Amino acid sequence: MKALAEFSARTPVLVQGASGRMGRRHTQLMRDYGTNIAAGTSLREAGGTIDGIPLFTDCLAAVRESGASASICMVPPLETRSAVEEAVAAGITLIVTIAEGVPVHDALHLRRLTRQHNVTWIGASTPGIALPGQAKLGFLPNVALAPGPVALLTKSGTLSYEVGFRLVQLGLGQSLWLGVGGDAVKGTRFAELLPLMAQHGPTEAVVLIGEVGGTEEEEFAAALAARPLGKPVLCLLAGREAKEGVAMGHAGALIYGGAGTLASKTAALTAAGAEVFATTTALVTRCAGLFGRLG
Amino acid sequence: MLLVESDGKALLRHYGIAVPEGLVISDATWAPPQAPRVVKAQVTVGGRGKAGGVALCRDAAETQAALARILGSSIKGHAVHACLVEAPATGRECYLSIMLDAGAGALRVTFIAEGGVEVESHALTPALTRLCAPDEASITAALAALTDDAAVREVGARLATLFLREELMLAEINPLFVGPCGAIAGDAKLVLDGNALHRQPGQESLLRANAALYPDALRKLDEGFDYVELDPKGSIGLITTGAGLSMMLVDELTARGAHPINFLDIRTGQLRGSPARLIRVLEWLSEHPSLRVLFVNIFAGITDQREFAQLLAAALQAQPCGGVPVVARLVGNGSEEARAWLAAARPDIAIFEDLEPSIARVAEYAA
Repeated sequence: MKALAEFSARTPVLVQGASGRMGRRHTQLMRDYGTNIAAGTSLREAGGTIDGIPLFTDCLAAVRESGASASICMVPPLETRSAVEEAVAAGITLIVTIAEGVPVHDALHLRRLTRQHNVTWIGASTPGIALPGQAKLGFLPNVALAPGPVALLTKSGTLSYEVGFRLVQLGLGQSLWLGVGGDAVKGTRFAELLPLMAQHGPTEAVVLIGEVGGTEEEEFAAALAARPLGKPVLCLLAGREAKEGVAMGHAGALIYGGAGTLASKTAALTAAGAEVFATTTALVTRCAGLFGRLG
Repeated sequence: MLLVESDGKALLRHYGIAVPEGLVISDATWAPPQAPRVVKAQVTVGGRGKAGGVALCRDAAETQAALARILGSSIKGHAVHACLVEAPATGRECYLSIMLDAGAGALRVTFIAEGGVEVESHALTPALTRLCAPDEASITAALAALTDDAAVREVGARLATLFLREELMLAEINPLFVGPCGAIAGDAKLVLDGNALHRQPGQESLLRANAALYPDALRKLDEGFDYVELDPKGSIGLITTGAGLSMMLVDELTARGAHPINFLDIRTGQLRGSPARLIRVLEWLSEHPSLRVLFVNIFAGITDQREFAQLLAAALQAQPCGGVPVVARLVGNGSEEARAWLAAARPDIAIFEDLEPSIARVAEYAA
């Protein structure tokens, strides 16, 4: 978590898979936003550059030449495992992976590997992380990003865009935006972000966007109950109507026989002192109210 | 995704785990043998025993009656097209499972010497369950700490191989019958990882052989995006992108008494200038006579809404879904121009920037 706490617009960033269709576009978007893109990897175009950013065949060379300490990995899902292994071996300490559809056994392997090496891994499939107004790693759309007091922690990309956008319309920006992703097994879980939230000066309130499936919201609730944050926590949970046994777009959004239901999550979060909302409008209105804005 | 029991047992057998002799029957007029049989609905949902999907039959007449009752019925919203008819196994009923423990970032091996339907009532003490690393040696060692029964350990070792090679999320045998002749799997609950299907060709064939049971998974494999049918008699067709926002929309519409036919994460970033994917979805939606309104909700962070608006218009021209009203909420990159363009091209479409009024309009049309 140290690498995440220290991430800033100065952090030199490596883009893995920088010359692909997505990689190229988002490398430019991230740099335009303020991210310090120091290098890229590309099998096809190694030795060349994209907008002056040097491209290397492998992470080790890229890290050696550029001093990159964070990586945004834009490779396809079945290549994510080897790309993260390579980044870890090259000494990267913060890795963000965006591919949707990383096999869960790969994710399990990577979770164990990154923890063993004290590497912070955000993913498998995250929309990204951002320090609004400073830097971002991933897809987060500028229209929904603005500096402010609300930390946005989310499984979903699009639902967080909607919430972020509507808060920004009301003049409320974010202190930190962190997509943990919708996978069953992932690099960083909601509960693991609580210590960072507690010591994060710019964060005055936390908005957590969860969804049906798994036990991550329940774990967060247990950690929150054990160590209250002293800052309001507002939650929006999606998937009340999800079909049992079917992954609703996110591999993690899967319910079997009552485990991972919204009822269980709502009860745990409420008991831990968080407020849980059933609609985006209700959450946005309450959040605006907390800061004296008109919702 | 959860495999039906007969497919799960086919995998168990392939890895050398004994299962009872059985047949998959979809014809209620089939003449059963004059012997005790267990009849079990083959559905991709858990808890079927408590929902009336399992019958213990003493003779052919009872088996026939059970088949007549269960075939064609519905278990937790899943139509029963087939039943597994098995010779009953005997022995002590145990519980054995290997699962991913996402929170712990490890595997969890569980063995309970008294299994059966009431297994949930056991408090999972360390004497019954162990976390371990995702490799065969660790799984075998974890199980060895839970039981010294040689037959169970043997099944556990084979289940470990299966779990790792097939990249499962859950492999559960409940009951596992343990008797003097060894251990035999009375049931099989195997959950596949949909994301691993691309490198598990055997699993793909298994799903295709029973395509009617796995429509959502096969559709994702074939089309590259998520479309889940929620209510075939619903009135709202959703054209949406993003899993979280789409789920939330379904929740909010349902809370207002409206009924979406589908969940959709179409992934606008992958359309690549072609309306083909949109047309596919409109075709599926048009097959529902109950469709009353199409609701397009696209929050585009990166995708250019101007391009999307043109693709939408082209798709609606190709497949107008019987001319039902369309409500489109477009926000994000280039959306102001996109809305203006769409308003001029299709004045009949109700166009919105904000979500709330668009939901209200859809609910009006659906009512």
